[in-house]
Amino acid sequence: MLTVTDLSVKYGNTPVVNNINLALGDDEILMLVGPTGCGKTTILQALAGLVPISSGSIELGHWQATADKNVPPEKRNVGMVFQDFALFPHLTVQQNVCFRLKNTAMADYWIELLRLDNFRDAKPDRLSGGQKQRVALARTLAHEPDFVLLDEPLSNLDAAFKDSLRWEIRQALKAAGVPAIWVTHDQDEALSVGDRVGVLNKGVIAQLDTPEKCFSEPTSRFVARFLGDASFMPGQRKQNIVSTRIGQAPGNTTDTRAEHVDLLLRPDDIALTVNGEHCNGSVDWVRFEGGTRLCAVTLDPIENESPIQLKIRVSHENAVQPNERVQLQIDTTHPLATFART
Amino acid sequence: MQRRAFLQSLAGVGLLAALPLSIHRSMAQTVQAMSVEQLPPLKGDLTLYLGRGEGGLYENVLNAITKRNPGLNLQIRRGASAALANTLVAEAQAGVKRADLFWAVDTGSIGMVTDAGLAKPLPKDLIGQLTPGFQYPQWVPVTGRVRTLPFNTQKLQANQIPDDIMALADSDLSIGWAPAYASFQSFVTAMRILEGEKATTNWLRGVSRHAKSYAGELGVVMGVERGEVDVGLANHYYTLRLKAGKPNADVDLAFTKNDAGCLVNASGIISLSDTDLTTNFMRYLLSHEVQSYLASEAYEIPLVDGVAAPSALPALADLSPPEIDLRKLADMRPTLKLMREVGVL
Amino acid sequence: MRRLPKSYPFAFLIAALAILPLSVLFVLAGDSAEFFDTHNLRVLGNTLALVTLTIVGATLLGVPLAILTTYVHLPWRKLWLILLAAPLAMPSYIGAFTLYFALGPGGEIESLLGIPTPSIEGLWGSALVMSLYTYPFVMMTTRASLLSLDGSLINAARTLGMSLPASLLHVVLPRVLRSIAAGALLAALYALSDFGTPAILRLDTFTRVIFVEYNAFGLSQAAMLSIQLLVIVGLVLFVESTIKGNTERPGRPLCLWPARWQKVLMLGATLPIIILAIVLPLAIFVVWLIREGVGNFDISYAWNSAYASLLAALAAVILAVPVAHAAISGKAGRLMERVTYFGFGVPGIVMGTALVYVGLQLPVLYQTLGLLVIAYVLRFLPLAVGSVRTTAERLDPSLVKAARVLGASPREAFRRITLPLTYRGMVAGAALVFLEAMRELPATLMLGPTGFETLATYMWRVYEAGYFGMAAIPGLLLVLLSGLGLAIMLTGEGRSGYAMKEE
Repeated sequence: MLTVTDLSVKYGNTPVVNNINLALGDDEILMLVGPTGCGKTTILQALAGLVPISSGSIELGHWQATADKNVPPEKRNVGMVFQDFALFPHLTVQQNVCFRLKNTAMADYWIELLRLDNFRDAKPDRLSGGQKQRVALARTLAHEPDFVLLDEPLSNLDAAFKDSLRWEIRQALKAAGVPAIWVTHDQDEALSVGDRVGVLNKGVIAQLDTPEKCFSEPTSRFVARFLGDASFMPGQRKQNIVSTRIGQAPGNTTDTRAEHVDLLLRPDDIALTVNGEHCNGSVDWVRFEGGTRLCAVTLDPIENESPIQLKIRVSHENAVQPNERVQLQIDTTHPLATFART
Repeated sequence: MQRRAFLQSLAGVGLLAALPLSIHRSMAQTVQAMSVEQLPPLKGDLTLYLGRGEGGLYENVLNAITKRNPGLNLQIRRGASAALANTLVAEAQAGVKRADLFWAVDTGSIGMVTDAGLAKPLPKDLIGQLTPGFQYPQWVPVTGRVRTLPFNTQKLQANQIPDDIMALADSDLSIGWAPAYASFQSFVTAMRILEGEKATTNWLRGVSRHAKSYAGELGVVMGVERGEVDVGLANHYYTLRLKAGKPNADVDLAFTKNDAGCLVNASGIISLSDTDLTTNFMRYLLSHEVQSYLASEAYEIPLVDGVAAPSALPALADLSPPEIDLRKLADMRPTLKLMREVGVL
Repeated sequence: MRRLPKSYPFAFLIAALAILPLSVLFVLAGDSAEFFDTHNLRVLGNTLALVTLTIVGATLLGVPLAILTTYVHLPWRKLWLILLAAPLAMPSYIGAFTLYFALGPGGEIESLLGIPTPSIEGLWGSALVMSLYTYPFVMMTTRASLLSLDGSLINAARTLGMSLPASLLHVVLPRVLRSIAAGALLAALYALSDFGTPAILRLDTFTRVIFVEYNAFGLSQAAMLSIQLLVIVGLVLFVESTIKGNTERPGRPLCLWPARWQKVLMLGATLPIIILAIVLPLAIFVVWLIREGVGNFDISYAWNSAYASLLAALAAVILAVPVAHAAISGKAGRLMERVTYFGFGVPGIVMGTALVYVGLQLPVLYQTLGLLVIAYVLRFLPLAVGSVRTTAERLDPSLVKAARVLGASPREAFRRITLPLTYRGMVAGAALVFLEAMRELPATLMLGPTGFETLATYMWRVYEAGYFGMAAIPGLLLVLLSGLGLAIMLTGEGRSGYAMKEE
């Protein structure tokens, strides 16, 4: 069980990470997500012992690291998968994976499981990006770490490989049965792979919960915006129902009980009708996504209200065009997140 | 103080210098050193190759001469004497001529250049100004230096030091020497000429058993003063200069008699252009003022009559140097071969 | 058939020019009687021992210091870097000379402070002084390589359970071997060609024997010995060229954050080096200055030094560009580059004499500033070539291609892409040449215009006669001006990146 208590990291006098608290289950995968510069890589480096921490503690079984008592990386039994793979260029795949191993049984296991059998004797510069990352993963897991840190492992790869490799890594981590912290800036990755998601903002954890909760019940507008397309629709709350210009929906009360609220609308929470009788907006743009289309619609302006743009996902069969008049209608039964209007 | 007085006497008086003076009139046998006031002014372009710099003392002499002779455009090229001698030979081979005068600290370089036939003959009256024994047809010795045995006064009395250089090989004194140093090699060359190859070989072998090597003879003298060795082999002026800076230094000079150990060698100047300007320039170097200055400030031995040697040194007449043609000291290759065979180089 | 790289003709010409003075040596050695005698064996042994010890010493000092200044997060990092690179600004003969007089029984330290110190001399003393003044060559080349090395490899090794020293040894060292060798080569050539240090510390090396022969009017024998020395230089060059390097993608450099006591310990360990190489010589100078006064020093000597060295630095860098380009382009070019290294391994006095002969064939040039600058360039060209080549090697070739695709001519692509991106390497190379030219002595004496006095020639002049106090001001000025060059070089080295920003 990896326990992080009140962890803070400073570079000189600049605080980079503030009061992070985490506890990780036995084979749990925690996704850390956030915009560039939010401190997520720093957290990983602090957990690995590569940067000193300024306060708090990191604890795992037999060791505990604090600001005064650093435990060097090699004593933490940590596994780390790097963004740029960090394969030793002068060693073969086999030698990389067996780097510190006396018994190569684990290496063989992971080499076979990750389909690297044909490349055992190749040097890293002959491998593709996806192969390199599988080698890096095999190397990490073969050394049987107590926990694994993944630093944007997929960001240097082709989009085509990302999806499959994402699952391959998850399965490998689950097979190894180790806790892992996986840093990414990709929201799809964050929501799909992990058991839990931590959203970081300016060195602070904004929300730490299951992917579903984080997505549907974000605790702040920042989290709402960061995990998927978010539109905010002003409305009034009466009991648990929030009424707006384009219909009503049950409002969640986790964030606020205020009367004047903004309702968080995901693109799937709204129905769009082209050339309907009660058109209330016009289309700004349409983006074809294969099975679906994403549209942006600006509602017709009314007095005392700033212009509102909403994003709606429709079926690809709905060939809506820019500048067309459309009718929008809230179309959901599950409770939506609300935020107090400022 | 002396330095300033010297500069004033050279630069200050213009009256007599303005009078044209016939040099030929003063062709008498022994000549007292002339004053610069008796010398004609120097005019025109003159390029001097100056072997080693002697710490600005030769420099001061040259400065004073140019200051006294505003019409003189003196260009100086400095360098190691041997390097300049090589350069002069190379220039002559290529048919390029840049230097009018070559002033070298060691007679070896002088020998090399005169052997190459580059030196111009000198007027008799100029040669006649020099102390007998230092009169050569093609070059002018400027100042002398004598080989000495500096010894540590804490460890030794003067009478414990043999007055025969050859006896040093058999003594049990520890000796500091600088085999790679040109003056030392000249000294060994003199020994080779005076005593023969075999005796010299034995001497080198004998001394090397209880000798410590230094890079230069200043190092030797400092080593003696520090007590690293009992006695050294060095030109006299290093000791005098050291004592000038550190009057209570634990070092004093001893001399041998009638052998290479008290060889008087000289720095010398060669004329490479057959003009009055070059010979007149040489006359300045032999003037009373310049000679006294070099004697008092650089502790070199004046080679003209009427100028006193450095007070800390016995008069030239009281020393008993061996008789030898200094130019023969240029024949250094056999000496090096010898030294190398013994393994001291 | 493949077209020859455009830089080849230029590089060939420069290499031929560099070897020209060396060919004079063969002419001069022509009438030498002795080729080799048994005495030379001892000298050869001493020379090889000194070179080997210098390589070992310079590497043992240079590599850890490179790691320290590149990877470790230190307070006043730039200051430490400048201090540790400062021996480059100090001629080794000054170091040897001041250390010799400072240490030992009766030395300045004992007479001023009463603390007895061991004296330094002979092989070990020479090797110590040589190492102290050549390790910055190794430090600088290794740094350049470390800065571009991907630091995450070490992090990977450490998280896999390898200790930091072991990771540095097994993961970093094999990849910077090439750069270490490049620096060690310069240190070795410096040790081979330097005369002052072994002379002052009484070690019989080739340069000293050459010097003795030379001064005993055995020019031909000196030339013959120099040719034998060139064989050793060739050997060193060959050994260096067999050390293979690998090219890899540059990444973010490593940053280590040691605890405070570790920092204190590390910086404390550098102090003896700084004190021996820099502080002590400067302090001795100051003592002499106080004791003996200024003398008749003229500030124009400093200007002469700086002016001639600056011209040499500019010319060397301009010539280095085609040579460096040729070296990257192919095997033949690499050979041409190697040839230019010979000039750095020949003692200055021999090179000076050879150039006197060359210069006399062109009486217009003889004894002009022009010939002096040429001599500097021929002697120190490899320093500029090495610097320019290293940065050019790191240049991503696709950048030039990108410029060409955007419609730039090769010339424009060079001017707007290659030049600005290798500019820092050129500045560093120029600064290195500047530093060496500032402290050069024998060629300056022999080839400069008549009456041309520099800091180095003036110091030599007063040192020869034992007026050490007068050497203080020019000595301090030489170090000061060289320090300026050094500062320029270190800014030319560019960013010393922290991996602080997140992607």
